Formats: sequence, C-alpha cells, structure tokens
Amino acid sequence: MSGGGMTFGTRADQRRSRFLTYTGLILLAALFVAPVAWNFLYSLKSAAESASINVHLLPQHAQWGTYKQALTLIDFWQYLWNTLLIAVPYATLITITSALVGFGFARLRARGRSGLFVLMLATSMVPQILTVIPTYVLFTRIHLVNTRWPWVLWGLAASPFLAFLFRQFFASLPAELEDAAILDGCGWLRIFARIFLPLSKPVLATSFILSFTWVWGDFFTPEIFLNNDKTTLAVAMGNGYTDPVTDTPLSNVLAAGTMFYVLPVLIVFFLAQRSFVRGVATTGLKG
Amino acid sequence: MSDDAVSDNGALEAVPPRALAARGAAWTLQRGPRRWRRYSPWMFYAFVSPWLLGFLALTAIPMFYALGMSFTNFDGLSGHWHWVGFANYTKAWHDPHFWSGLRTTAVYGVVTVPLSLAGGLGLAVLVNRRLRAVGVFRTIFYLPSVIPVVATTLMFKLLFDRNTGLLNTVLSWFGVGAVGWLSDPWAFKIMVLLALWGLGGGMVIFLAGLQGIPAELLEAATVDGAGAWQRFRRITLPILSPVVFFQFVFATIASLQTVVQPLLLSPAVNSGAGGGFTDPTHVQAGDYLYMVHVYAQFFDYQQYGYGAALLWILFVVILVITAAILRSSSFWVYYEVEQDGKAGRR
Repeated sequence: MSGGGMTFGTRADQRRSRFLTYTGLILLAALFVAPVAWNFLYSLKSAAESASINVHLLPQHAQWGTYKQALTLIDFWQYLWNTLLIAVPYATLITITSALVGFGFARLRARGRSGLFVLMLATSMVPQILTVIPTYVLFTRIHLVNTRWPWVLWGLAASPFLAFLFRQFFASLPAELEDAAILDGCGWLRIFARIFLPLSKPVLATSFILSFTWVWGDFFTPEIFLNNDKTTLAVAMGNGYTDPVTDTPLSNVLAAGTMFYVLPVLIVFFLAQRSFVRGVATTGLKG
Repeated sequence: MSDDAVSDNGALEAVPPRALAARGAAWTLQRGPRRWRRYSPWMFYAFVSPWLLGFLALTAIPMFYALGMSFTNFDGLSGHWHWVGFANYTKAWHDPHFWSGLRTTAVYGVVTVPLSLAGGLGLAVLVNRRLRAVGVFRTIFYLPSVIPVVATTLMFKLLFDRNTGLLNTVLSWFGVGAVGWLSDPWAFKIMVLLALWGLGGGMVIFLAGLQGIPAELLEAATVDGAGAWQRFRRITLPILSPVVFFQFVFATIASLQTVVQPLLLSPAVNSGAGGGFTDPTHVQAGDYLYMVHVYAQFFDYQQYGYGAALLWILFVVILVITAAILRSSSFWVYYEVEQDGKAGRR
C-alpha cells in the first residue's frame, strides 16, 4: 500500500486514486466522529480533571462513576419515564391517523382530492417552531399547559409528512386487494384495518420510529409546555448537572448523561437503519 | 386517472407489455365507471379528517389567534389588555434587535443552506462508489444528523470550550493561545459548523436519488466521450434537481426558524444554579437569531403582543421566500416526466 507502486500505467493510477479517496474519507470520518468521541472521553474524566486547564486527550484515570452520577444526581428515570409517557402515545396516535389520511389519499376518491393533497403538502411547509408559541399561549388559556394532552392532540392531528409516506406506499399496492373485499361486502374501515394495515408493517414501523425520535429529540416544545416535574430528558440535558454541594456545573457528568440520552437513538438507528433511510428517502425524493 | 397509473406501477412491473395492455383494458372495462358508486365521497373526507381538523385546530387557529394578539398589548397574564393597532409593528421597525436578528438569520440561512446542500451532494457522490467498507463511511456521515439537537449542541460546547475543549487543546500543541470559540467574533461560525455537522441527512436523500439514476445513461455518456464532470453536470445534476429543490425549500424554512442551538450555545447555560437558557441576554450577538428575539419577548419580557407581531413578520417573510423559491423552480428544476404522471421512483 504505502509507496510501493508496482508498475506504472492505469493500474497504478487506479491504486493511487483509491488511496487518495480512502485518505479523504478517513479524514472526513474523523471530523464527523470527533464531537461524539470527545464527548465520550470527556465523560470519563473526573470533575477536577474536566475543569482543569491542563487538558489531556485521554482521561488520566477513566472514571466510570460519572455514568452512575448521571443517573443519580438528577431524577434521570423520572425524566425518561416522562419522555416515554408523551412519546409512545404520540407516536402511536400519529402513526394511526397518518395511515388513515394516507389511505384516504391513495385509495379513495372524492371531489377536491387532488386539491386537498396539494394543500396537505403545502402545510408541511408551514414553519413548525413558529406555530408552537401561539399554540402555547392558546393552550395556557384552556389549561392544557403542563399536561400531556397537547401531545395527544398533535398525535390525533396526523402529520403531512407521514401521511405522504403512507400514501406513497398504499398507492403502490394493486387494486385487486380491495376489490375482493368489496365484493364480500367489507366496509372501508375494515378493508383498511384488515387488509392494508397488515401489509404496511414496515411503513408503520418507520412512522413509529420517526415520530418517536421527534419527541425524544425535541427540546423546544417540552421546554415551554412542561414544568420541571413533567419535562423530558431533552430538557433535563439542556439544564445540565450541578454539584449538589457547591452548585458548580459538572460538565463531565453532563457528558455522561448526554451519552445515555443519545444511546437509545443510536441503537434504534442501527437496528432500524432501513426504516430511517426509507422514511427520509421516500419523502425527500418527491414532495 | 393519474393516480390509477400510480397504483398499477408496483404490481405490473414484471408483466410483459402485451399482457399489461390486455390487463389494463380489462381493468378499465370492469372498474372504471362502477368504482364511483361503491362508496360515498364522505368516506374520503372521513379518512383525511384527522389531518384537516388537526390543521385547523392546531395550526390555523393558533396562528390567527397570534395575529389577533399582535394588535394588542397582551402580557400573557393580566386581563387588562387593549387594542393597540399597528403599534407592535411600528415598534419592530424601530427595534435594533429586530433588524440585527433578521440580518443574522438571513446570513445564517444563506450560508448554511447552500453549504449543507453542496456538502451533502458531494458526500453522496463520494460514497456512491463501489469501495470496500463504504457502508461504514455512509453510516458515519449520516449519524450526526439523527442525534438530537440538544446533544449535538452540548457536544459542540465541549469541543469548542475555551479552556477544556478539544480544538484549543490541539491548537495549543502548535503554540496557539486559547481562543474563545463560543464567544463573539467566532460564535456565529461555530453555529454554522454545527449546522454543517448534520449534512449527512441530505446526503442520504441525495444518495437515494443517485442510485435511481440508470447506469446505462451514464455509460452511454462515457462512450460518447463525456468526462466525469460533464456527466455530473449534464446528467446527474439535472436528474437530481427536483430532490435538490425540495431539500432547498425545507432546509431554508428550517434554518430561518432556528432557535434551540443559539439558546443552548449561550455561555450562561449550565453555569450555576437554574441554568441560563431562559435568559437570551447571554446569547452572543453572533448567535442572536431572529427567533431568539421572539422567544425573549414571550418568555422573558412578557410582551406577548410584540412577540406575536414578530412571529407574524417572520411567518410572512418565510411565506414570501418559499413562494419565490417555488416560483423559481421552473428555471432550474428539471422534470424528466410530467409531474403528475409518476409519483416518484423509489
């Protein structure tokens, strides 16, 4: 590999270009990994070392205790439970409602269908963070703030993005599917639930995983809607850790907490890489 | 009509053309007119009602509620508010933070959107080759874009910390003194880098698009003597342009409402009791994006009326920009087939 070129000509050229490509890829990969790697190394430092100006790349003595602290210095499990309490109902509901909407657009006809479809795609462009604050003000007045109901409502409201994902899938299935069922006198809700839903398991999984990770990663909404006793892990991480005695920030423990917070996302990502990519690719390809 | 063509695509792919024609004919004969009478159109509306009602109740109503609020001096608490006409809008005109926030946000969008699209496309081309372990590289490039924004921001804070960060440590080996990357002359650039770290999200989309380009097309061009750049410029880029276009639209909208990153990057966060992110005064001037200013009106100064006016101004700005981009599409987006014909190659 290194320097020992066999012969000249195209073969050597190819080798050289491959060598350059790999060098570039590895350098780029190092850049992309650096923030996570540094966060991990940092999480193993002691409080004293992490605050010291005398910085070493590797921790002097790996302190796995920071990971225990990350779970005990704040009510980590409570925040995790809070996150699940809003993420699971939200992801379940929005998957069902988006499947319904997608099915409607793919399989049923009515006047104004294509117009509504365009409208739905257009609403997916409505700036979302912008609408969160007015919703907050409105929900304060009807006492929905600091409850989990907003997430139930958002779940019931379907997502244009996911509905589009389902629509693309349902539209690709052959028409014979519902024909037989209709001849048997089956209603549309049953056709949807008994025939189409079982076929769409991969899309259902994609939708559930995507919407779950939206809640898991969302900082802004829980930050303004929920008080500290009901808030999610994302906000807890944003608040950080402090020493219970001296009240100084503990960035090494926060780094450990961040690893805990990111880990489930990474695990789900590796297990369901296909789902992730499918969701992103299908909806990104055509809006 | 067009939608029926779509539903047939998947099923008929493997069927030879003649059989396909026969089947298509039979299909029209049997189903065409009868299909309409099988259910009432209300069935369709029932199925799409979650989205319709949800959009009305959770997007349209709150937005118009905010529009009304923007003409008042409502403070979020007391019932003693009254109409103030356009006072909040003229206030914005004279608010230096409004203009600086708008400018910073514009620069942020103009810098991050093209760079992350070009970077994502470049990476996609790079990893769309038959190389050993290319899957590993794809995963590494894609991964940061699935990490939640809180975590990426906190990681960046550690990486670029003045005293204990990796960058300053590496620089110190070369005798460079500590630089305050998260403070003002640099804060904005670090926030841009943070956005670019997530460009793998675009890469995956472009990669899917690249893999949909028929190999014969590129081979034919090579035979005709087209170089790598020409193939990219004349074949790959036009075919990908619809993908680039939609990425462009959504990335622009997202970048203009960025708010979490500046709040969390502010030096006050995690320093001392109570955290500091609810205090936008600690956000560096370079990170003081428009939405930070909006956030401050609502959650620090209790100026709901003014905040709502600021929200609506941004809303209109985003609408205008989106409309302009959509209008421009006919100049640079290349559609291979009529748009309503085939809904996306998978």
